[in-house]
Amino acid sequence: MVNELLKEFHEIAASPKAQMDRYLAEGRKVVLTAPVYTPEELIHSMGFVPFGAWGADTELKRAKEYCPAFLCSIVQSILELGMTDVYKGASAIVIPSLCDTLKTLGENWKYAVKDIPFIPMTYPQNRKPEFGMNFTIAGYERVKADLEKLGGTFSNEALAHSNEIYNRHNKAMRDLDEVLARHPEVGAAARSDVFKSAWFMDKAEHTELVEKLIDALKNQEAGEAKLPVLVSGILTDAPGLNEILDDLGMHIVADDVAAQSRQYRTDVPAGDDALKALAQKFSGMDNCSVLYNQEKPRIKWIADTAKARGAKGVIVVMTKFCDPEEFDYPLIKKACDAADIPVAIVEVDRQMEHYEQVRTNLETFRDILMM
Amino acid sequence: MYTLGIDIGSTTSKCVILKDGEYVYAKGLAVGGLGTQGPEIALNTIWNESGLTKSDIARTIVTGYGRNRFEGGDGEVSELTCHALGGRFVFEDLRTVIDIGGQDAKVITLSESGKMSNFVMNDKCAAGTGRFLDVMAGILCVDINDFEKYAEKSKSPASISSTCTVFAESEVISQLANGVEMPDLIAGICDSVATRVASLARRAGVRETVCMSGGVARNGAVRKAMEKELGVRIEFDPLAQYFGAIGAALYAHRQLTR
Repeated sequence: MVNELLKEFHEIAASPKAQMDRYLAEGRKVVLTAPVYTPEELIHSMGFVPFGAWGADTELKRAKEYCPAFLCSIVQSILELGMTDVYKGASAIVIPSLCDTLKTLGENWKYAVKDIPFIPMTYPQNRKPEFGMNFTIAGYERVKADLEKLGGTFSNEALAHSNEIYNRHNKAMRDLDEVLARHPEVGAAARSDVFKSAWFMDKAEHTELVEKLIDALKNQEAGEAKLPVLVSGILTDAPGLNEILDDLGMHIVADDVAAQSRQYRTDVPAGDDALKALAQKFSGMDNCSVLYNQEKPRIKWIADTAKARGAKGVIVVMTKFCDPEEFDYPLIKKACDAADIPVAIVEVDRQMEHYEQVRTNLETFRDILMM
Repeated sequence: MYTLGIDIGSTTSKCVILKDGEYVYAKGLAVGGLGTQGPEIALNTIWNESGLTKSDIARTIVTGYGRNRFEGGDGEVSELTCHALGGRFVFEDLRTVIDIGGQDAKVITLSESGKMSNFVMNDKCAAGTGRFLDVMAGILCVDINDFEKYAEKSKSPASISSTCTVFAESEVISQLANGVEMPDLIAGICDSVATRVASLARRAGVRETVCMSGGVARNGAVRKAMEKELGVRIEFDPLAQYFGAIGAALYAHRQLTR
């Protein structure tokens, strides 16, 4: 049962285009959601299918017309897919303003991809005070107005319902993360598939599938113990990377990955005003390189979680040219050193074809952890 | 008991046979690394030198970038692990290994007991590697083995970018056009490698005893520039280029005896 479900997750994760075409064939409108945090609940409540747009492992050709080489390749590959019609059929793309490169993506998108409208989601740096919350709500209002132009309709009740659907999905993903920490037989590649597939599915459908997997895993005896590690980074879906983690017998017992668990840590609180409640969720979010907090609680979170989950080491998967992640790395290293948790850093980008340097790095790290 | 270590790098292949994990019984080196006849030539050298055959070898461990493609070994181990083991085999108080190979640079730190504790690898860039020196030697039409001799005569090392091999290449050509003397130019090139790798070393944490390994370790001018840059003595042993292979042979021995 577990393997059958994992196969299903793999097929979805590996074929986003087929998923999108399926929704379009059903007559549903798809709205692309760029990294890192877009208000999917709002988009969902207005009758659209939010569809993750984190780019793809591909050679960048057309995007270079707009981007210098030293720009995050995730963002560049989103533009590349837009310019090469891979996202054709989508009604719009919502791009949040959470890092400098994402800001340039929105501006470039307007000129480079004419047939998919760009909807900006402008977030405040200071999201916790009331003025910050009001700023977030104003950002939502802009997204709402643009979606209404595309035929979407807003109601407080519908958003409250979507908030509930997303909260249930969040819980399922958190539960899954805990269960997978006890099942080393589910490798890094399979784990990645489960998380990645969430971006390409209606969340109610994904929740159902994840809950089935959790039940199946609970009824399955845990496999032989492997080397427990915590993985941190923006994106860790590259097959080349996950193959190495699996080859080296590493078991991801927790993740601090923006495209994975960081998405599911915070729920929308209860409240009569569903839009305000959604802003409260954003205000309550933390422990992420793109969410400003001068206290940097993320650093302690990583060291504490690694300890709590029994990780022998932390692997930082650094997306090349990602400034927010690079700023946090020295602090992560220092905190983990103080907690006696070895740290490895490997650099990846969307254009990588050869992972030999990553393999050497992680193989050495495994030796450090095991010798 | 004989164990064999094979280190297949990007530009050279090295083999070492250890006897009882205690001393180097034979060694072989061939130009040509991954994807060439280099490993085979190095192995033939070692069989000829030692008089041993494959059947005399209790275990073979392969390391280096070509380790996963080589058939005939009993296992593969990362070259960082092997350089740490090999370095410690030669220098018993070793705490830091600076390995500059043909295509990359790595710094490995060891605990007091000799356990590998940290490492840093360079990003995907030829600056600060053996490749950088090869390119420069080619531009200057100077044998790389003569770099030390030239650099010793330098009075005022030229300033060469440590950021990029391509930029450095055009800088060197400009310096030549401006009439900068060869010794100053070569000293500047060696300083450039040292600056680049020293920043890597500082990131890993430099503790004495420090040694250099890999092919570039043989270049005295780079060693001296590195000593100046880091402010520590850099140990050198003629076996420096074989540290990876020694470590692999030692790893094989330990697998059999533990």
